[in-house]
Amino acid sequence: MSKFYAQGSGSESSGSSSEDDDNEAPVPSKPIPAGKQTVYISDDDEEDSGKRVVRSAKEKRYEEMLGHVKKIKNFKKNNDMSNILDCFEDLIKAHQKALPVIVKEENGSTPLFYLKTLGQMENYVNQQWENKKNMSKINSKCLATLRQKLRKYNKDFEEELLKYRDNPELLDDDDDDLEEKQEARDESGSESEGEKKEKKLKKPSTKKPKDDNESDDSIDWGSDSDESSSSSDEDYADIRSKFLKKTTDKDDAKEKKKADRDKRMQRKKLAKDDDLDDGEGWSVVTGGAQVERPKMFPKDSEINTPAVIKKLAEITAIRGKKGTDRREQIDLLNELETIASAHALGPAVQVKIGFAIVAALFDYSLKVHELQKVQYWIKLIDKINELLNLAIAHKDMKIDENVPEDSEEMEKSPYRVRSCLMTVFERMDEEFLKVLKELDSHSFEYVERVQDERRICEMLERLLTYIISNHLAEDKGIMCRAYYKKIEHMYYKFDVRVLKKKRGEYNGETSVDEMQRLAGYIYAFDTTDRLRTRSILCHIYHHALHDNWFEARDLILMSHLQEVIQHSDPTTQIMYNRAMVQLGICAFRHESVLDSHNCLADLMMSGRVKELLAQGLMPQHRHDRSPEQEKIERSRQVPFHMQLSLDVIECVYLVSAMLIEVPYIAEHEFDAKRRPISKTFYHQLRTLEKQSLTGPAESMREHVVASARHMKKGDWRKCYNALVNEKMDRKVWHYFAIYEYTKDEKQFGVKEMLRRKIREESLRTYLFTYSNVYDSVSIPRLAEMYEMEFQQVHSVVAKMIINQELAASMDEPTKTVVLHRTEPTRLQCMLLQLSDKVNILRETSDRTFETKLQGGPGTMGPGSKGRQFNRMDWKNRRPNQPRGDHHNRGDRDHNRGGDRDHNRGDRNRGDREHNNRDRENQREVVAH
Amino acid sequence: MAQYDLTSKISQNLDRHLVAPLLEFIAGQNIYNQQEVLQSKLDLLVETKMVDYAIDVFKKLHPEKEIPPKFMEKRTKVVEEYKSVQESSKPITAILESAELAEQISNSRDYRQLVEYLAKAHNFKPEMIDSIYDYAKLYYECGDYSTASQYLNLHNELVPSSDKNYLSGLWGKLACNILLHQWEYGLEDFEKLKTFIDEDPFRNALQTLQQRTWLLHWGLYLYFNHTKGWDFLLDLLSNNAKYLNVIQTTCPHILRYWATAVIISKHSRHSSAMKELVAVIQQETYTYKDPITEFIKCLHVNFDFDGAQQKLKECERVLSNDFFLISCYNDFIDHARLMIFETFCRIHQCISIGMLAEKLDMTTDEAERWIVNLIRNARLDAKLDSKLGHVVMGTSKISPYQQIIGKTEFLNMRSQVLANSVARKLGDKSSYQIF
Repeated sequence: MSKFYAQGSGSESSGSSSEDDDNEAPVPSKPIPAGKQTVYISDDDEEDSGKRVVRSAKEKRYEEMLGHVKKIKNFKKNNDMSNILDCFEDLIKAHQKALPVIVKEENGSTPLFYLKTLGQMENYVNQQWENKKNMSKINSKCLATLRQKLRKYNKDFEEELLKYRDNPELLDDDDDDLEEKQEARDESGSESEGEKKEKKLKKPSTKKPKDDNESDDSIDWGSDSDESSSSSDEDYADIRSKFLKKTTDKDDAKEKKKADRDKRMQRKKLAKDDDLDDGEGWSVVTGGAQVERPKMFPKDSEINTPAVIKKLAEITAIRGKKGTDRREQIDLLNELETIASAHALGPAVQVKIGFAIVAALFDYSLKVHELQKVQYWIKLIDKINELLNLAIAHKDMKIDENVPEDSEEMEKSPYRVRSCLMTVFERMDEEFLKVLKELDSHSFEYVERVQDERRICEMLERLLTYIISNHLAEDKGIMCRAYYKKIEHMYYKFDVRVLKKKRGEYNGETSVDEMQRLAGYIYAFDTTDRLRTRSILCHIYHHALHDNWFEARDLILMSHLQEVIQHSDPTTQIMYNRAMVQLGICAFRHESVLDSHNCLADLMMSGRVKELLAQGLMPQHRHDRSPEQEKIERSRQVPFHMQLSLDVIECVYLVSAMLIEVPYIAEHEFDAKRRPISKTFYHQLRTLEKQSLTGPAESMREHVVASARHMKKGDWRKCYNALVNEKMDRKVWHYFAIYEYTKDEKQFGVKEMLRRKIREESLRTYLFTYSNVYDSVSIPRLAEMYEMEFQQVHSVVAKMIINQELAASMDEPTKTVVLHRTEPTRLQCMLLQLSDKVNILRETSDRTFETKLQGGPGTMGPGSKGRQFNRMDWKNRRPNQPRGDHHNRGDRDHNRGGDRDHNRGDRNRGDREHNNRDRENQREVVAH
Repeated sequence: MAQYDLTSKISQNLDRHLVAPLLEFIAGQNIYNQQEVLQSKLDLLVETKMVDYAIDVFKKLHPEKEIPPKFMEKRTKVVEEYKSVQESSKPITAILESAELAEQISNSRDYRQLVEYLAKAHNFKPEMIDSIYDYAKLYYECGDYSTASQYLNLHNELVPSSDKNYLSGLWGKLACNILLHQWEYGLEDFEKLKTFIDEDPFRNALQTLQQRTWLLHWGLYLYFNHTKGWDFLLDLLSNNAKYLNVIQTTCPHILRYWATAVIISKHSRHSSAMKELVAVIQQETYTYKDPITEFIKCLHVNFDFDGAQQKLKECERVLSNDFFLISCYNDFIDHARLMIFETFCRIHQCISIGMLAEKLDMTTDEAERWIVNLIRNARLDAKLDSKLGHVVMGTSKISPYQQIIGKTEFLNMRSQVLANSVARKLGDKSSYQIF
């Protein structure tokens, strides 16, 4: 009897824990002291644990009710009226639900604890009612409702309540007692129902009755209930007899079967009554986990392929369910694997289990603590490596996603296994990045982990050969994915051979060729578009990294990515940003300063470089992001070894901005329409100019700005020295050292490029700035000043003359530049400015008119077009390429002549208006 | 010189029959080994049905050898085929010869009407349309281009543009007209093809690209043979991103012809086309360069006149060895010189004649005469100073007055337009009428 008792409560605890999962009611597992629990379980173990416990409908209902009671109790302590009210309502509902059971099993007598609760509630409410004034508004309101409800409800139980009021000590009982009472009642109840209601029931399809632990129990139970509709009891018996070792049980099979059926019927009924309680409800009892690990198979049972597969299915069936101990699952699977390999069940089974383990490991990764990540990762990579080896070693095995589940072939060659190595590999790669992100990027561990990269690459190589040598090569999708993975591991790595090859020091295949091959395949066969976009970006990055400026440029121009990139996912956008940065730096090395500036401008103007390159989070002041968002952003970060140096990016950008902007400023010194080309650079310049005292340059920015100031004066040597010196070498230029080389005693590289470019731009600036001082300038002298060839100076000056930047012409016989003195007088100068301003005024009014009255641009005829063009003024002035222009290869804007359209219109009209204007102008001149 | 020869690159995009004249030309230029040229010609002809021609070439190549029997076999076969086709195509020949056909073609609204008419008047069956095409093909392959052209003309009138042979027919017609030196008709066909391709019936970027590449190459015959050919090439390329794209992606060597066309074209359209060309040349330097593009680069990017002079000399050789460009050799040299001079003048205010002569590759006297001519024709605002031997340019200073006028010129009109629109917007009719 006592055994039954123990079992009963044990069952209750197991049941209630499942309830716990479903219902989130914190009650039931708590009230039972830990000591008791262990006692019960050891009881289980001593005894035959194959016995199955089941709860009657009554218990189930009572538990639910008890849960609410417990809650109410808790809330009472806090005087949380609204919650009490809610719980009370739930309790009433639960009781309502339980009523049929109560009527059936207890002859309609209300359960004791329920009455007690009601009594207590009433007391409590009355008590609270007296100090209602001290309560908050909401609370008191709830209290009033509660009181009313309780009164009304209690009327039904008045009689019984009275009975219990007589024994007031009952109402002061604490939970444990209450629980025990209830259990006692349960017991008596079940007894009165007779033997039929016995709760110690056999598990129907126990495979290892002896040493099973609770978790397996419940799994089996779950799967069993799934099958129950289809398979008859005889089947069970068969299976059971197969797996059952020896029935040491007192109960005979018949009884079991009967109980079995009983139980199932009950369960069905329960399922109908309460949708919370379905098969899943019977999940793992965590309590049993601490016990020594059980064996997978009975000692002398036959271990063959179907058995193992079945077992595997069992173990994996609980995957992803709530409360599954993922760690334990891994251990179980590992054990299964050892068993399988010990019995030599063939590679297919091994592979199958291997995949299951890997899957379990992946699941586990979500929960793994940071510190354990590395350990877990090593395990993972080893396992996958093993799988790969297996797959390669057995040529007769087909591992494919497309093998239907039911046509897997495990026992004999040719094997067929449903799975995909590629997917697993991709997942592993993701994990790898995650692991890296967890680690401190400056620590030794990080370096250690990054070394795994090589291993991954090597595995990928093998995977590729495997895929190619197998049937899978026809699957273009898989090939594309594999190639893309390879590209992803390759694109950011620098291959010295490429540069050597360019200088003719090396012959043979380089990573550029490899990249071309891989990417070419993807361009040709990819159907997802996403892979293609990404591999294009990687390809661009790779080209740019290896100084293949033209190839990289053509690739980005032909891809037209810059037009659609806003619509792609953030990771792709990050890749785009990275590629653009690399492209910009590459352009810089190739002396295409304007391109470099254009590539980097968007990024730098945003002021969020770090964020846009996913190299760290920026503190956001204006709107805080939520933790989830931060987590997402964090997950997108690029691992440290792939990051780009922000200093280099900024420096390259600022220097190219300087080379464009300084001559531009000099040229348009008095131009009202002048607009800064690079706001960032302007900003830097201004902040430094504001300082009353400028010390020697320290930071990279200060260096650039200092050099810009020298350039303004046309002093190229100082400009160069401010930019290229030891400090800057250490900060920035050493990144370019790898591209530098000497050939035929001539230096090539960034510094040389800068030297050249700075001389040229300084010369231009000089001419712009000081042309008004000279009547004529001797070209040889200029060449001397700027240490340039005569030809070069000639070419620079000629360009300026042709582009009408400099009002001058050359005098060939004397080799001088003769400047046309078109310096306007003061009045003329003012008039010019005035006319500019009037033009601006007109433009503004045009624009205002359009936006306010017309409701949209383009309807105004000449004015509207003029407006668009003036806004992009500086871009139009430069031949070939404002940003948009530059990137649409072939689709270049040819609308530059747009301004000409203004000639349209009738000149005869509006003389009067004209006069008015003129008068206005005069007035303004006077005001000036 | 072989390094600048484009025959191999161009012939990849041409029909066999079109390549034959190219090879013929090359053979006379002595830049390749004669034997090799003959051999490749033979290889070319073997695949066609012009067996007699092939035999000729074979004889030239191997004067000592017997003609292999396979040639003779093929010859008899082709002759038979040709005869049978001639026999069976009689009704069509009859149609072609009938007088009212041309009238009917111009009168009928579309191909259906024409087919109806033919069925009525000449017992024509719709199935015959395809056979017309087949006959035309055979005639073409045998080298009977004029017949082929006639047939294709008819075929072209009889089928809708959705027909499977429509495009091939057009290409065939173009080839025939080129080979017959019918540049006017060729130009028509070219236009037709261009519109057809631009309508993009392929739905496949790659194929469209391929077709455009062909078109550009086949057009080479027209550009430099038709009297208005250059303008035609410029029209095709200027402001046309599609064809620029083709040049940039598949055949940058077309830049040579473009550059030449720009240089020798009339002055009026010079500047804009030149700007465009310069931009593309700059972009493509790394994939393609030859003396002509480099000449332009020297002159318009680097303003390196010595370099330009150097390149011009090389250009002369390139031009004289280019099948397409040899005809405009003189034009090119003249215009290129003028271009150098013009640019030079724009930069300088005073030039010594001696230096100029050197730059233009003339003697001093020649140069002086040349400049005098220019000045007299009012193409140059300059004076000669024969004492110092200088040319002094007329300066074109922009006075501030002009500047201000320039700036305020449109102000009046624009503000008036604005006022007008405001008035119209406000619906105030009375004020509207004041203006």
